[in-house]
Amino acid sequence: MNDRIVFHIDVNSAYLSWEAAYNLQMGSNLDLREVPSIVGGDQEKRHGIVLAKSIPAKKYGIKTGESVYSALEKCPQLIVVEPHYTRYMKASKAMVDFLYDYSPYIQRYSIDEVFLDYSNGNLPYMEAAVKMKEGIKKELGFTVNIGIGSNKLLAKMASDFTKPDRIHTLFYDEIEEKMWPLPVEDLFMIGHRTKKKLNSRGIFTIGELARLDRDYIYSWLKKPGILIWEYANGIENSDVRADKSKVKSVGNSTTLPFDVTSRDEALKVLLGISEMVGMRLRELNMKSQVISVSLKTSEFFSYSHQKKLYIPTSSTNTIYKMASALFDEMWDGNPLRCFSISLSSLLDENFIQLSLFEDFNEKDILLDKSIDNLRVKFGQDSIIRSSFLYSGIDPIIGGVVAEESYPMMSSYL
Amino acid sequence: MKIIMKPIEMIAWFNNTNYPIPLRFKIETEDKTNVVIKIDKIIFKEEEKIAGNRMVLYRCEGVIDNLKRIFELKYELATCKWFLFKM
Repeated sequence: MNDRIVFHIDVNSAYLSWEAAYNLQMGSNLDLREVPSIVGGDQEKRHGIVLAKSIPAKKYGIKTGESVYSALEKCPQLIVVEPHYTRYMKASKAMVDFLYDYSPYIQRYSIDEVFLDYSNGNLPYMEAAVKMKEGIKKELGFTVNIGIGSNKLLAKMASDFTKPDRIHTLFYDEIEEKMWPLPVEDLFMIGHRTKKKLNSRGIFTIGELARLDRDYIYSWLKKPGILIWEYANGIENSDVRADKSKVKSVGNSTTLPFDVTSRDEALKVLLGISEMVGMRLRELNMKSQVISVSLKTSEFFSYSHQKKLYIPTSSTNTIYKMASALFDEMWDGNPLRCFSISLSSLLDENFIQLSLFEDFNEKDILLDKSIDNLRVKFGQDSIIRSSFLYSGIDPIIGGVVAEESYPMMSSYL
Repeated sequence: MKIIMKPIEMIAWFNNTNYPIPLRFKIETEDKTNVVIKIDKIIFKEEEKIAGNRMVLYRCEGVIDNLKRIFELKYELATCKWFLFKM
């Protein structure tokens, strides 16, 4: 196990780089990477958050995830480009195809991140990494960071060291020198809440976390604690999963251009999203057993609830019913801005285990099927629920994401 | 050469090799008249896949206003569109 060599290839400000490269190809004489610029949602509809930023934009203190509006306040001459997801899928696929020349063991971790197992590669690893990096730059027109490590975690940590267009290594014997001095929140899986917890007990660097006693961290943070403790010590041994992973969840979300303050309106939005996720789930011939709803208030505070179902479902009506129950459970009356529904623990549609404790209506399946068929044949808006008439809310919400399955970051490697 | 990047109408020849061969194209000039330009010679062609978008670049020679000129054309494979890239 000790002689594994894993690469983590990470596109530098992915959406922005791809947008810039594409524009250059189409004859633009401005390289977006060299001026303060961001890829962000539609300003007019006020859908905007910053999805990616250029390095000059970073100097103005612009952060990924903040609203386009506040980014423009920090830098008025900022260039805002709308996202084009199909372009990004293409660019991402081109990169993966390019990398297959080096190794067949490739795991697409997200749209702009790839793990590649180079343990049995035929070049010295550094030479291979330089070739990959330069090849991608020359052929595809964007830069990447490559992290090389003894496992996926170390590779991922390494690719994050300094950007852009760099290669870093992080092997077991380099952990103490390269990883331990970093602030603890830089470690994979540590978000701001865990950071707070750790900081409250005087743990500020990854090294301090790593040197804690294993039993102590278990008694304090239980299993997730062990996980981050192991990560801090560079212990992680999952394989680079070359097989195409199946879809694990289906979700859609929407950010509205106005605040939603009434229950009625909020439920309509949820219904619109239910239509979309239901349709997508049925298209995959799957059923879901866990429904989760998350909401974001106009103050950007977000919360979510989820529920496990007795009977796996793909019916729009059931999804909506569950979503509204979850909504009622958690909504405290604050104005809402962003809604999302996500369906997970997906199962094949072929057979299902019924339950005594939940209603099951076979007609729902037929109804959904007929509606789907109508929509495929005559367009998405050919048949809609009349409750949406004159409501100003779209009857089917979501779906900016390209039809192809869109590799999303997951919280495990 | 200056970057122009204007969509053009094209007559091209598709044979059994990889890429189509441009023959002549029509472009609208500044005074709104159409000009047809014949491609006399392809100096070189190369495929690029910047950001995964495949395009074929042709450097060509042709006569424009009685002058022998060099220009570059681009063909976008995903959309089957031709562009006058540089002139």
